[in-house]
Amino acid sequence: MLQPEVVQLRTEGRDEQQERRLSESEEGNNPFSFTPQIIRLHKDHELFEDGDIHRHMYLQDLYISEAEDKPALSVSEFACHISGCSAVFSALEEYEHHYNALHRHVCCSCRRSLPSARLLDIHIQEWHDSLFTILAQKQDMYQCLVEGCGQKFRTSKHRKDHLIRIHKYPPDFRFDKTKKERGKEQKDAAMEMVDDVCESEGVCEVMCNSPSDEPEGGESMETHECEEKASTEDVLAAAQDTEGTSTVPRKPQYSYRIPNTVCFGHGSVRGFGGRRGRRK
Amino acid sequence: MWRLNKVRHKAGRPGGSLEELRLKRRENERALRQARRDRQLVSKRLLLNEDEEQLDVSMDTAPGGHDIVSLLHKLQHSGTDKEAHLKALSKVLRDPSAQLTFIKHENSMHLLVGLLTGSNAQCRLQAVRCLHELSHSSHTNVAPACLPATPYLLTYLSGPSTKFTELCLYTLGNMCPDSDVVREKLLAQGIIPALASCIENQRHNLAVVEAAAFTLSQLLQARDAPEKIIPMVLKSTLPSHLLSVLTPDPQFGLAPAIECAWCLHYLICSTEDNKELLAQGALSQCSSLLVSLGGAVTEGNKEDGLELLIWPLLRCVGNLLSSCPVEDLNAHLSDAHLPASLCALVQAYLHTLPALARETVWVLNNLTAHSTEFCSALLTLNLVPGLIQLLPFSQGINTMILRILANIAHKKKEFCVKLMQLSLLSALCATLKMADQEMVIRSLDILFMMTVSSPVVAEEFVRQGGLSLLEVLQYNGAAEMRQRSTYLLEKHLLSYQQHITVDNMPDP
Repeated sequence: MLQPEVVQLRTEGRDEQQERRLSESEEGNNPFSFTPQIIRLHKDHELFEDGDIHRHMYLQDLYISEAEDKPALSVSEFACHISGCSAVFSALEEYEHHYNALHRHVCCSCRRSLPSARLLDIHIQEWHDSLFTILAQKQDMYQCLVEGCGQKFRTSKHRKDHLIRIHKYPPDFRFDKTKKERGKEQKDAAMEMVDDVCESEGVCEVMCNSPSDEPEGGESMETHECEEKASTEDVLAAAQDTEGTSTVPRKPQYSYRIPNTVCFGHGSVRGFGGRRGRRK
Repeated sequence: MWRLNKVRHKAGRPGGSLEELRLKRRENERALRQARRDRQLVSKRLLLNEDEEQLDVSMDTAPGGHDIVSLLHKLQHSGTDKEAHLKALSKVLRDPSAQLTFIKHENSMHLLVGLLTGSNAQCRLQAVRCLHELSHSSHTNVAPACLPATPYLLTYLSGPSTKFTELCLYTLGNMCPDSDVVREKLLAQGIIPALASCIENQRHNLAVVEAAAFTLSQLLQARDAPEKIIPMVLKSTLPSHLLSVLTPDPQFGLAPAIECAWCLHYLICSTEDNKELLAQGALSQCSSLLVSLGGAVTEGNKEDGLELLIWPLLRCVGNLLSSCPVEDLNAHLSDAHLPASLCALVQAYLHTLPALARETVWVLNNLTAHSTEFCSALLTLNLVPGLIQLLPFSQGINTMILRILANIAHKKKEFCVKLMQLSLLSALCATLKMADQEMVIRSLDILFMMTVSSPVVAEEFVRQGGLSLLEVLQYNGAAEMRQRSTYLLEKHLLSYQQHITVDNMPDP
């Protein structure tokens, strides 16, 4: 990183903009500290290395014209900045794909990541909306997951049968877990709340809800299992492949934990999307 | 440019394939880099004989020792043919082991100096050629052995013979880096005034000027130069001579200008306050020359070796700007084309010499840091879109570009709006996702300045979906990113909501 050697603060006559900013900085909490700086470089500065080498190669009779010698020009990488996610990408599209697949449609209540806004809406409705539970006792509330089908069913089992029979879905479709299985999941969800977002989100977690054999404290085992399963069944294969993270669970790089009350996805209080999940 | 012309022949040399040449180059480059890191970057130049096309490394390792001894014997005792013996000696002395043998031999230097100062002109020439070969040695104890010759070499600098003077100069130049003792003696013997009057008197003779400037550059790179050498040089007439040679002669070529430019660079970067050089017009000359070189490059006239001149000029301008008060900038930089030329240089060298492009954007930063005028120029000359397109390139380029854009945003509200109109916001939405923390923090800085400048900008950022980017950063591990994004969001919320309630409240 370039270390500026001389800081010259000269004011040419402040205009409105600078006045406004100055008054802001006087408020005390303003973390922004950029000021324009002239950077002076001494003879041995590392920035001068390549040019010096070029010069001396010429002196030593080893000059090569630029046409013959092509040094590599580097391009910046992108990285997912969600705390705990250490994925790195060489292209912006890869980053977007990763983000959309794993971080965008996230349920605030249980941290599950769903692949689309629609499935997220349905999930929130069926799992976290008490009104839905009440209504479902009297009406057909369970929507078919296939967009455009429009049919509704009294129970999730009915819907599942419909999905398998009519739409030829696999019987263990990940995004159609019943609420009953959630009993165990709530415990897991509680454990997951402590994890960093990236490890608890993702397709795998939705899979690991079968009330089978999950040891209480085995968070790392759980995610490891999940990731193994995820790698064999490729719903989001593309996302898993292109993102930079390996399938080995990584210790979160930052110790800063996100409080339970904060969520980046759907229904986030902070976002301006509003309560999309609730209101239609 | 005699040097580069000679180098081109290397490609066709017998016994050396192109691949071997490349390997050798790479090895040498690695060695040079290590030497620079150790602060021991030193080069010497060898002036070839007229009959030599290129440096013939593949020498037969004949017993040089014997040759030396017998040649010295012949020189001491034979009356005639001294010239032929000297010539033979100079050829033998190209071999490193022969060089060591020579200096170990008693009275050898005494003999040589005698011939150097004798009445036979041809012998003098051959004697200085022998000294030149010795000076090129990579053994650091060879040069000090040549010290007895230096007072004479210095005296001969004002002589009429071009070839002879060149040899003297390059010999002295090669000796400078080898030891403190050598430099002390040379300084005491008046090398600086000698170089000054040499350049002054031989101003028309560009080969000599090139050699003198090379010698000076060797002195200026010494570790103790800032204390011991540079003040003396600044007091002499050398700076003004160097400046006068900067513009390359179209016939002779770039070489003398290249040497002078590097001398100026060493002078400037080793001095805190360059007001004397500024007063002598260094900034205006270097910048005008950069403008014309930038113009040449834009027209596709990128001759080989041009970057050897551009590089030191960039550094001179970059560092001189730190000594120039912003009020005086216009006096020194009357040529308003400098920003455009700099941008042209970046584009021209980005892929072939990224380090050069990086130094060019460094100069742009220094130009725009405190000058509203130059920031405005970047906007009015429509140079900003080109800069924004450079944001993907790392290793110091994009971070410096963000500095430049921040310099612009920092000056005026109107500039921020203009930057928004040039799609800077969407570029920032991409840079905010980069892995490099400095890029993210700098992007946040710019974003802050822009949103504070006008609600139009804030709205546009929100419209482009920027808020979710900031939300993500709020919980990032780095405190600088967390603090900035949180602060920005909280300010946004306020201003955005205000904007909604005041301006576009839906009708009931």
